[in-house]
Amino acid sequence: MAGIKALISLSFGGAIGLMFLMLGCALPVYDKYWPLFLLFFYILSPIPYCISRRVVDDTDSASNACKELAIFLTTGIVISAFGLPIVFARAQVIAWGACALVLTGNIVIFGTILGFFMVFGSNDDFSWQQW
Amino acid sequence: MAGFLDNSAGLSASAMDWGERRNTVASIGAGVLFFSGWWIMIDAAVTYPEQEQMNHAFHTCGVFSTIAFFMINAVSNGQVRGDTYGEAVWDAQGPALVVPGFMMMFGSLIASIWILFGAYVVPKKEVAPGLAVFFQNAFIFFSTLIYKFGRTEDLWG
Repeated sequence: MAGIKALISLSFGGAIGLMFLMLGCALPVYDKYWPLFLLFFYILSPIPYCISRRVVDDTDSASNACKELAIFLTTGIVISAFGLPIVFARAQVIAWGACALVLTGNIVIFGTILGFFMVFGSNDDFSWQQW
Repeated sequence: MAGFLDNSAGLSASAMDWGERRNTVASIGAGVLFFSGWWIMIDAAVTYPEQEQMNHAFHTCGVFSTIAFFMINAVSNGQVRGDTYGEAVWDAQGPALVVPGFMMMFGSLIASIWILFGAYVVPKKEVAPGLAVFFQNAFIFFSTLIYKFGRTEDLWG
């Protein structure tokens, strides 16, 4: 069970990702706050998987249809979080430089969320008193 | 567990532990394709807002493809084959969703190809919106196939 180091690195990753997002919005040369809509996707992305973990308590089988649907939806949310800044930039709503910053932030944040699930999400010792 | 890979002709045999991961990989691949198709269409709708550049009616292909995706994937392969335990009447209704679903899916795919050639290539208009319609439907089609046939139900216990 990973401890405090993983927690700190994941928090750092999250902070850096959000920093990139905010830079893409707030730098004076860009000054457009449309990319903040991505926060909606960031918050939404863990939800399908968490719901499927709670609803189906099947530890015997390796997989089940609900989990796969959750993975499908999560992939969709991630793709949408990459697609939205690109569509914004192609419509000249934001600058391409801002788009690049936001996409970098995306990669960091989704890496952090994935890391969070890999480190803290395993089913082996499912107890809440670990740390 | 090694038996079910025998029919998957294209998969490399050197991939480690394919068995357990197969469903997850198929779900991710299907998700990437499906949503990329939709974002291609959203991009085309934003970039070509005029009715002359891209007739708004062309969105119907994508909508029907999406409905078909959910119809086809609502029923597991086991139910279509008929090897479920269920005695209830509605358990035999697998093909009632799958057959119209595939018909809609193929119809939308063919329609998108027709749109591309009939409304864009032949009249020599700027072809990008037509390509977007085609790619949206092609991606959704392949996503459906991967999600339906790329997953094995052996892992469902």
